Amino acid sequence: MNPTLHTRRKFLRTAVLGGAVSWTVPAFLERTFFALDAHAADSAIQTVTGRDGTILVVLQLAGGNDGLNTLVPFADDAYHRARPRLGIPADQTLKITDSLGLHPALSGLRGLYDAGRLAVVQGVGYPNPNRSHFRSTEIWQTAVDADRISTTGWLGRYFDSCCEGADPAVGVSIGGQTPQAFASTEPKGISFSRPEQFRFQAGDAAAEEFFRSMNEPSPDATDGASIDMLQGSAVPQGDTLDFLKRTALDAQVSSDKVLEITRKSKAPFSYPGSQISSSLNLVARLIAGGMPTRVYYVSQGGYDTHNNQAGSHERLLRDLDGAVSAFLRDLESQGNLDRVTLMTFSEFGRRVAENGGAGTDHGAAAPLFVAGGAVRPGFYGKMPSLTDLRAGDLVHNVDFRSVYATILENWLAAPSQGILEGKFNKLDFV
Amino acid sequence: MLAPLEPTGWTPEAAAHLLNRAGFGGNPKEIADLHALGLDGAVDWLLGAGDDSDLFPPPRASEAEDLKAHQAAQRTRTEEERRQFQQELQRDNRQKIDELRIWWLERMRWSPFAAREKATLFWHGHWATSVEKVPWAFMLWQQNETLRAHALGSFRAMVREISRDPAMMRYLDVVASKRERPNENFARELMELFTLGEGNYSEDDIREAARAFTGYRIDDATQQFFFARRQFDDRPKTFFGTTAAFDGDGIIDRILEEPQCARFLARKLWIYYAGTEPSQDWNETLAAEYRASGYDTGVFLRALFRARGFYAPDVVRRQVKGPVQWLVGTCRMLEMPLPSADVSLGMLRQLGQVLFAPPNVKGWDGGRAWISSATLLLRYNFAGFLVSGRATGLPGIPGRAQPVPLSVETLAGPTPSADEVIERFSWRLFQSQPDPTLRQKFVQFLSTRPPAPETWRDCLHLLMSTPEFQLT
Repeated sequence: MNPTLHTRRKFLRTAVLGGAVSWTVPAFLERTFFALDAHAADSAIQTVTGRDGTILVVLQLAGGNDGLNTLVPFADDAYHRARPRLGIPADQTLKITDSLGLHPALSGLRGLYDAGRLAVVQGVGYPNPNRSHFRSTEIWQTAVDADRISTTGWLGRYFDSCCEGADPAVGVSIGGQTPQAFASTEPKGISFSRPEQFRFQAGDAAAEEFFRSMNEPSPDATDGASIDMLQGSAVPQGDTLDFLKRTALDAQVSSDKVLEITRKSKAPFSYPGSQISSSLNLVARLIAGGMPTRVYYVSQGGYDTHNNQAGSHERLLRDLDGAVSAFLRDLESQGNLDRVTLMTFSEFGRRVAENGGAGTDHGAAAPLFVAGGAVRPGFYGKMPSLTDLRAGDLVHNVDFRSVYATILENWLAAPSQGILEGKFNKLDFV
Repeated sequence: MLAPLEPTGWTPEAAAHLLNRAGFGGNPKEIADLHALGLDGAVDWLLGAGDDSDLFPPPRASEAEDLKAHQAAQRTRTEEERRQFQQELQRDNRQKIDELRIWWLERMRWSPFAAREKATLFWHGHWATSVEKVPWAFMLWQQNETLRAHALGSFRAMVREISRDPAMMRYLDVVASKRERPNENFARELMELFTLGEGNYSEDDIREAARAFTGYRIDDATQQFFFARRQFDDRPKTFFGTTAAFDGDGIIDRILEEPQCARFLARKLWIYYAGTEPSQDWNETLAAEYRASGYDTGVFLRALFRARGFYAPDVVRRQVKGPVQWLVGTCRMLEMPLPSADVSLGMLRQLGQVLFAPPNVKGWDGGRAWISSATLLLRYNFAGFLVSGRATGLPGIPGRAQPVPLSVETLAGPTPSADEVIERFSWRLFQSQPDPTLRQKFVQFLSTRPPAPETWRDCLHLLMSTPEFQLT
């Protein structure tokens, strides 16, 4: 027997299936082994997990973060002219260069920058920007051209092409819904808001125990395998019931793992009290507990600041700043800081000129942050011109897929061209 | 001509399958009644959709907003007043859209003509139009009524109506199309997603067709279609090799002449109702049937529901339920009402099917795409809520709600034995008998508990928390 296959099988039997010893491998698992065998040549792909490999944390700023008031071009008169009420005076920004400063609420990020753990990518966007939240989010999540529609997400395609046979928890999203970025051909990735919810709940413990016994692989779980052979009106696609059984097993296994880790790992570290802090705190506990997860996804909402932006934007950035700072300190105390890279993104920036309601409307290009122990600190891309606008919006000079390509190639060691359906220049922020 | 099911194939299981797929399933009595009609009678009854509109009074969304009047009134207001009015209008409109969603779900749950609602749901996914771009309740309601009116009728009439449908016109930018600057969005999707499929037309065909759909406008006062003759490009166009002064309807007629159109629609209908990818031969057979019907969807479905292939082992109980089918079907088979509006909409949102908000113009992917480890666990836990009214910490679901009225005695019968309970529940939930191992496990489980409603509820919940229950 191929040694890799053997190890894998043993691993599945003992670790994943909780020590079941004497059962025949169900049809769907058997097929997974064949798939693994075919991919055995690339053993690196199989062995890297979030237990010891690199980890990506994606932080979505939902609603369209105002990039110009996040990274402020305080020396540019055009900025102050366009924002008579919202413009942040030069002396209030947390200056990084002669012309750029962070929003005053971002003191933690400022500290990370000084400590060499923060990169800023400026002017990120894509051609023919779409100003609908929904559609632009979809474009960022699926990573295709603005006039194309894809049913898979960029991280889902990464799971599909590089994580075959991996644990279903290779992607974990904290929140109610699976992000579109995770959409893949072979379903991968789990999502939950609170770990105690990500489990089967029944009337009492006996019913839950019975459920567990139902979801153990049965000794003769090969039923359905013959469906593949049926000829008739349909094109054979593999058995749907097999698919569902495998997903149920995945759910059970991941649920056990998540519960075990979160029960074990207390939170030794104190985070500020905000939703995004709780999410990152949970991610830190899962990392500390040795989840096999390679990609975590968290989200902070509320950035759609059309009215009276100043106060709400400051609160949002303060929450973000506190959460990211605490998260990185937590990882450092765990000794995991060098294995984790966090990137932010938002579906678009906002209009250069403020609107009549002391807010800003939907725009285009904006900066994003990359933070972690392995980050090459500094600025990437250029601050877009505030006078050479397109339809009142900043023009991007970094395609967001260049950011993804960098993350995929340099951080996750994945070939980006197939995943992004094209070649995008890498930056060197990691 | 599709080979019909042989008479011996018309079993109670076949009747249950027909009811599941043509509609949203039913309870054992409904299945038995349908079976008693015989195959032809059953199909005729299902597709003979009568008028049920008196059962479902129109929702608030059916009242058109006079947008023109709003605009005029806005001009007299201060900026602050305008903003407030706009916010209030949007809030009320969101509320109306939620009411519209519930109105449709109730119709799916209670209509005696479920087949028409099931077909309307197909067409909603086909002509996918989203509230994200068309946030107006009235337009969405109007489109829904148009789809319902033509759901089991002429496809040709439906395409023509949809090309004049204000929601679609906004969704795919027909309203912005001008004689000298035609917008190609609708013309492209008309061919790529609605009638022919990618690769069966040229970019020139799109450009020429776009010119024919100029002059289509919406009257802001009534929110109805009108034709702005001066914006219409009346010059000759060359479309699929024919040069003529095509108008929009002419383009549609020309598309329907393409054999590919019947092939494309027949495949999509087959996948929706049968749940499998048709082989090329089978697709041709289905396409010939659709063409022969003169693109009459009702006539085509009558043949499809009578066809032997529709009752093949790789079709029956092999389709993943979509979230709407899962929720509506569960309520129908358990003879209970839908849960409260918040809970129903919350469940569908988390399971990935929000009505009037398909993910994009391609509609929902369907099939296995409905299932992930997260949504599967949610389905299991939501099932627990449906049978017990209890839930702890389910996102979007109140911790304790009024239990849904569910007469366990109706479902299990008076003082049944454990074996009888399993048998009756299995038939009700799966329309088949459990395999011996599973049956034995459940009987053993029941033997440890008192024969009480709570026990039957747990048992129902456990049976619904299986891969098998996600299939129909």
